[in-house]
Amino acid sequence: MSGRRTGQVLLMLAGLIAWAVQFTVIYGVTSTLCGREWADVTLLGVGIVHAVVALATLAALIVAALSFLGSWRIHGGLGETAAAPDRFISQAGILISGLSLVVILWQGIPAFILPACA
Amino acid sequence: MDLKTTRQGLPWRRTVTTRAAAFACALSLAGCSGVQSALDPAGGDALRIYWLTLIMTLGGTLIFLLVTGVLLYAIFAPPERRAWLGGRRTIVVGGLAFPIVVLSGLLPYGLIVMRDTDVPMPGALQVEVIGEQYWWRVKYPEEGGKSEFSTANELIVPVGSPVTVTVTSADVIHSFWIPNLGGKIDMIPGRINRLSFTAERPGIYRGVCAEFCGDQHARMAFDVVALERTAFEAWRAAQEKPAREPDLPFLSRGRALFRAAGCGSCHVVRGTEADGAFGPDLTHVGSRRTIGAGQFPNNIGTLAGWIANTQHIKPGVRMPSYGSFTGEELRSLAAYLESLK
Repeated sequence: MSGRRTGQVLLMLAGLIAWAVQFTVIYGVTSTLCGREWADVTLLGVGIVHAVVALATLAALIVAALSFLGSWRIHGGLGETAAAPDRFISQAGILISGLSLVVILWQGIPAFILPACA
Repeated sequence: MDLKTTRQGLPWRRTVTTRAAAFACALSLAGCSGVQSALDPAGGDALRIYWLTLIMTLGGTLIFLLVTGVLLYAIFAPPERRAWLGGRRTIVVGGLAFPIVVLSGLLPYGLIVMRDTDVPMPGALQVEVIGEQYWWRVKYPEEGGKSEFSTANELIVPVGSPVTVTVTSADVIHSFWIPNLGGKIDMIPGRINRLSFTAERPGIYRGVCAEFCGDQHARMAFDVVALERTAFEAWRAAQEKPAREPDLPFLSRGRALFRAAGCGSCHVVRGTEADGAFGPDLTHVGSRRTIGAGQFPNNIGTLAGWIANTQHIKPGVRMPSYGSFTGEELRSLAAYLESLK
């Protein structure tokens, strides 16, 4: 696979990768902090569990949003004669990163409704 | 057999079908109320869970019917009429936007229900419940000058006051569930879990073990009685007292048999020499509504039957059958236990 194609595929999957990393960070950090009874530790006045979840969610949202915008721009710039794989990858990138934005938000919501170590 | 009969089906078959449908409906509706029904909430937590169940069930049913309808339309409608189903707009709206909107609403709603359910309240009545094969050891710890005492297979709570039940298990995993009052909580050996709820309506409810725990799992229930505050305090004061001494010769004979048969090596009767910790505390067994963990109404007959045939009634429980008593002995022993109010 050429370097250009690798970049296209990575851009297409960036939202999913961001979601996976956010998932791992949220579950891992929450379990560790709650298991060690560090839930009461604060970071700039915010509980450390909530702070980690918020930061991980924000970072993942930024990555997914960049992937969405990048795929959108590439798709918009494709001419009539664009190759079918390019068209498919850019369309899939828009869809995957758009859905990733939604699930990353869903993944972060519980931290703002439930207690840290419920 | 004429054509009309053939088309409408045989009369007896229709009758059976109608009766089966009516029976199924009646059976379903029977679960909507009663002492053990999550569809008849008697507390705030149970009400929240009830609404969540209702919304999920009705919403799920409507969506199922909608999808099934669209599926049938896609299969049976003429090609020119069903063509719109394959369009991009249908896929985006039906396959993406609709699930995202529905799930984005349900997720925060479910989380809010979780947040507002099982919230520990300051000043809650503390009760400890230990699950054992196949009964419930219930302890009311010392509180505000009131003594600690134990009972079994019954949970008496004051109406309108929060209760926190601390649960664990002495053997295998059980699960504590009072459908009318709240959610479930697992009882795990070596681990302490807590469940908080408030009974908003006086009444008698039924709690059950909600985790398969052995052969007699289905016969592991307990009574929950929600009393007004004054009645609860009177009940508590009575439970704190030691057992009353028998005042009739017949009952004294039962007490002597209780001692001679070694019942006291497994059961406690406070105020007597019986100090066994293995089985249920029998100090006020006569005041309980049921015996055998919610299996029979509590009276002399059922108590006698239980003592003589434990392994026949509930095979696998730790108490052996005491079938060697004569009828007269059994009656006096059961009468003594029944007198322990």
